[in-house]
Amino acid sequence: MLESVLSQINTLVYQTSEGMVHPGLSAGWVLFVLVSMLLLSVWLMRSVSVAAQPLNSGIVSVYNLPFIGKNIQRIITRPTVLTLLRIFTAAVFLLVIAAGLFGTQVAERNIATTLTWTLWWSGVVISVFFVGSAWCAICPWDAIATWLVRRKLWKRGSMLSSLNLRVPKIIRNIWPALGMFVVLTWLELGYGVTVSPYATALLALLIVVLATISLAVYERKAFCRYFCAVGRTLGAYGGIAPIALRPIDNAVCASCKTLECFNGSQDIEPCPTHLVMGSLKQNTYCTSCGACTQSCPHQNVNWQIRNIGDEITYSARPHWDESWFILGLLSLTVFHGFTMMPYWEDWMRQLAYLTGDSGRILTSFSIGMGVAMLVPVLLYSASIAWLQFIMGKQEEWRRVFSSMALSILPLAFAYHIAHNLSHLVRESQGFLSVIANPFGTDTLPLSMHEIHMRHMNPLVDDNIIFALQATLILFGFWMALKILRYRLPQLINTSGATVSRWVFVPMLLFISLISMVNLWLLMQPMIMRM
Amino acid sequence: MRFRDILVFISLFIITTNAIAHHVLGRPSYSLGEDSNTPPSMQVETQIGEYYVTYMAFPAFPKPGDAGRVNLYASRIDNGAPFDGKVTFKVRDDSFFASKEEVLGVQDIDDGVYRQGFVFKEAGDYIITAQFESGGEPYTIDFPLRIGEPFPIGPLGISISVIALLLIFVNITQRKRLARIKASQHHQKDQKKPTE
Repeated sequence: MLESVLSQINTLVYQTSEGMVHPGLSAGWVLFVLVSMLLLSVWLMRSVSVAAQPLNSGIVSVYNLPFIGKNIQRIITRPTVLTLLRIFTAAVFLLVIAAGLFGTQVAERNIATTLTWTLWWSGVVISVFFVGSAWCAICPWDAIATWLVRRKLWKRGSMLSSLNLRVPKIIRNIWPALGMFVVLTWLELGYGVTVSPYATALLALLIVVLATISLAVYERKAFCRYFCAVGRTLGAYGGIAPIALRPIDNAVCASCKTLECFNGSQDIEPCPTHLVMGSLKQNTYCTSCGACTQSCPHQNVNWQIRNIGDEITYSARPHWDESWFILGLLSLTVFHGFTMMPYWEDWMRQLAYLTGDSGRILTSFSIGMGVAMLVPVLLYSASIAWLQFIMGKQEEWRRVFSSMALSILPLAFAYHIAHNLSHLVRESQGFLSVIANPFGTDTLPLSMHEIHMRHMNPLVDDNIIFALQATLILFGFWMALKILRYRLPQLINTSGATVSRWVFVPMLLFISLISMVNLWLLMQPMIMRM
Repeated sequence: MRFRDILVFISLFIITTNAIAHHVLGRPSYSLGEDSNTPPSMQVETQIGEYYVTYMAFPAFPKPGDAGRVNLYASRIDNGAPFDGKVTFKVRDDSFFASKEEVLGVQDIDDGVYRQGFVFKEAGDYIITAQFESGGEPYTIDFPLRIGEPFPIGPLGISISVIALLLIFVNITQRKRLARIKASQHHQKDQKKPTE
């Protein structure tokens, strides 16, 4: 009976495809996730009273960890290790540029494309799950820009090195970062920069130039705060991360008059994104640079290990632009998945026939991308409008829109990691040979035999990947419901009274729909990138 | 005696393995440069629809004005029978937003291979497309081809120039601003003196 049901599901949702593809999630896992989602939905609808915010439960200071705590404290309160790591990432980044410009243009043989798109681009999002926005602390774009403009390896640079202008009000938000993310996605999936070492190197150079211009013209690190798509993505996801920089004792921060974390000290730079440690409630703009840990005269800043997702469930307060960024993340991650389905190529081909598009069919791709991004936005807006209608329009549209955006962030995060896991595990085979010959000198494209061998021998067994992907989708769904269960009653009333269960329906439907789309995307065979 | 046999076998094995690894058809592989009489080719193999296609370009890294050739082999995946219809070869510029396409030629099968010659006058990135029809289905295979060397100095030079000019501009502007502030402070001190 079960076999028959699974077989029916298989024939309904799987499409046979041409060429080399990664296998999709098996029907058994899908059934497990769907049943679990149903049970979680029932749990949500049955317990609709206002959930209480836990009082700092489960928070552990890294400094207090046995054996390693004091060593970690020594490392992060001094700039040596961080500076060495920045030098290392900058050196690798320069190698990527050199290999892209001077090396072979066979994508799978050049370190520029393999390291940038297969390892880094896939791995950096996964890293948030373990170390939050730690990547930003060793980001080579910022490191190189800082060394060029400040002309200091780690110490505070001269004020003369920058014009220190305020960022114009119109772009003092993360709309530019969202725009950059859309452009990067277009270049990645439409223009195909991922399979061009030369274009990858040009993009890397362009971003360093932009970061340098921003640092030389605007105060502090405007590029990191307002413009960087990667930084803002890590920042948004950082709210889910189990690790964050926070004060050890809030009372010390409350009585602090000098605010070295914000102003910097004689040697240490001020917070690059204008954060004050004492009032820090969310990770969105923290770049984990460690300036606050080094400058605080009271040694009152440390890394905290906390419950996953507690920040976005209880304490984060997203602004209008940040909620749009979250919605953009959701749209773009789902869109990523669509473009790697065999269906997508057929749809684009048909659209190109209709519009008379030829060559790279960039017009068709742009239309497809626009539509694919618009659909989740419209569905979310409709859910918010419905929710507002049920609430009797007590709350302002913007407030409901922003507050509920946090509940969809885990969906984007979970799918993003699940999707990237496929690339990382199934496409990073052979990377050692690229390290041995980073420029790919005298190499040829992968033969069919090599492609088959890579395809047949992923780094991790398929069943483990399936289990991780199914768990991630379920985790995203559970986290989304948890946020909804706390935030929606908070939005409606703060008195702690029980709210009608019907108010949960619009967002529950939206969250379920997106989770099922994500699940369906993971079931499909995914076209290998290189 | 037995030990000596094993030793000889291991020595021979190691020597033989090295010989295979470092030679191609008896010639040291590092001598296969662009100026060799057997220049390296760029080869791509792919599966498309019901066909297994091998695509080769000679030479692998042609220069502007060099005569080059593309060879295409297409055989059915199920029974290995070669495709024997006509294949159209097209070319288009692969630079940003370029979409102009030209037909290089339409070729018949010749000894199991489709051969298409080309000469590019200008360096750049191109896409060569082979198209054929089988069983009422159109087949299209794209193959990237780089003519001449890429221009690495251009983007590097532009980036370094932009950054250098910007930093010089910022430095001069800030020095002037500092000088203005100092002059203004000096001026204020001078104004205060008579009243003291």
